[in-house]
Amino acid sequence: MAFAWKAAGLTYNRYLAVSARVVRRSLKEDKRVQAERRGEMELRFARWENGKQGEQKSLETANQKAMSEGAGQSQ
Amino acid sequence: MLSRAARPALRAGSVATFRPATAAVPAFQNANYATLREIEGRLKSIKNIQKITKTMKIVASTKLSKAQRAMTESRSYGKTSNAVFDEAETKPVESENKKVLLVICSSDKGLCGGVHSGLSRAARRMMNEEPADYDVVVIGDKSKAQISRSNPKDIVLSFNSIGKDVPSFADAQAIADQISLLPGDYAQTKIMYNQFDNAQSYHPVTLEAYDEESITQSPNFTAFEIDDEVLANMREYSLANSLYWALAEGHAVEISARRNAMDNATKNAGEMIDKFTILYNRTRQAVITGELVEIITGATASEDM
Repeated sequence: MAFAWKAAGLTYNRYLAVSARVVRRSLKEDKRVQAERRGEMELRFARWENGKQGEQKSLETANQKAMSEGAGQSQ
Repeated sequence: MLSRAARPALRAGSVATFRPATAAVPAFQNANYATLREIEGRLKSIKNIQKITKTMKIVASTKLSKAQRAMTESRSYGKTSNAVFDEAETKPVESENKKVLLVICSSDKGLCGGVHSGLSRAARRMMNEEPADYDVVVIGDKSKAQISRSNPKDIVLSFNSIGKDVPSFADAQAIADQISLLPGDYAQTKIMYNQFDNAQSYHPVTLEAYDEESITQSPNFTAFEIDDEVLANMREYSLANSLYWALAEGHAVEISARRNAMDNATKNAGEMIDKFTILYNRTRQAVITGELVEIITGATASEDM
């Protein structure tokens, strides 16, 4: 595999989000606070099955979990 | 059906409200005071409502410029991202058994006119007019409630707590990730959102996102020399871009619609306040006149004695 992050189970969007977070965190203090607001994500989501709504979960943690599972499969 | 059911209740209600007045006929003065007090109470509550709608309008107005700026930025962003597909003349691959994924971008909050119901209606119309195997992803609670009433079986994912602020690219990325984790194989992804025409009008439109097969089979695809390895990345990234565009534009439409709705509500409340003030003053004047008549009659009567 050409991409290390792909082998780790990350999607391209996740990879971008992580690198964007790193850049934001390495900014100077005043700029950093402003920039980090742009990276916030508090979405919640629910899966639906047969017309029934499932449990509502935080999207952030669910994505992280899915990625780490993906990593387990690709190794 | 509803109106027929509601009417007896309404009649009963109106009878109930009139009853205290008719029961209080012997104490004539008291009855008049009661209606005066009732009008005063109503006037007060309408004034409070007007205050609230006015504040909401001001809040929406201040948010609007920010939302519109985000919209114009995201629009150029999304258009640039989709320029590849325009140049490559990408078309969704025609096949019978593949599913269509419909992403509806609404939001959690109401009080903004017909933004959400217009979107849901457009989605329903599309599902009726272009029959296919649809799977629906709903972003935002308002449309979720509406779609879950008509097509609960088609919903696969729903997102909420969106629309508090201008949507960030991180939001779009996270949604795109969750969508790409869906098990189904979708020939077409349609993102439905409200397009911003001007401050007064908007209309629901769809934005296409493509799967890898459609991209590779597009006529001018070879001109771009895209490696197979990065193709999946490009697809994910362009999905996030399109989603960001749709979310930001939908948000701007919502805010401007809320501003208009609250403007109208404030105007209507103002009209009602005018009407009720006149009614209130008239009734008060009538009560005073009535009292004066009574006093004068009493005085003249006792003078004659």
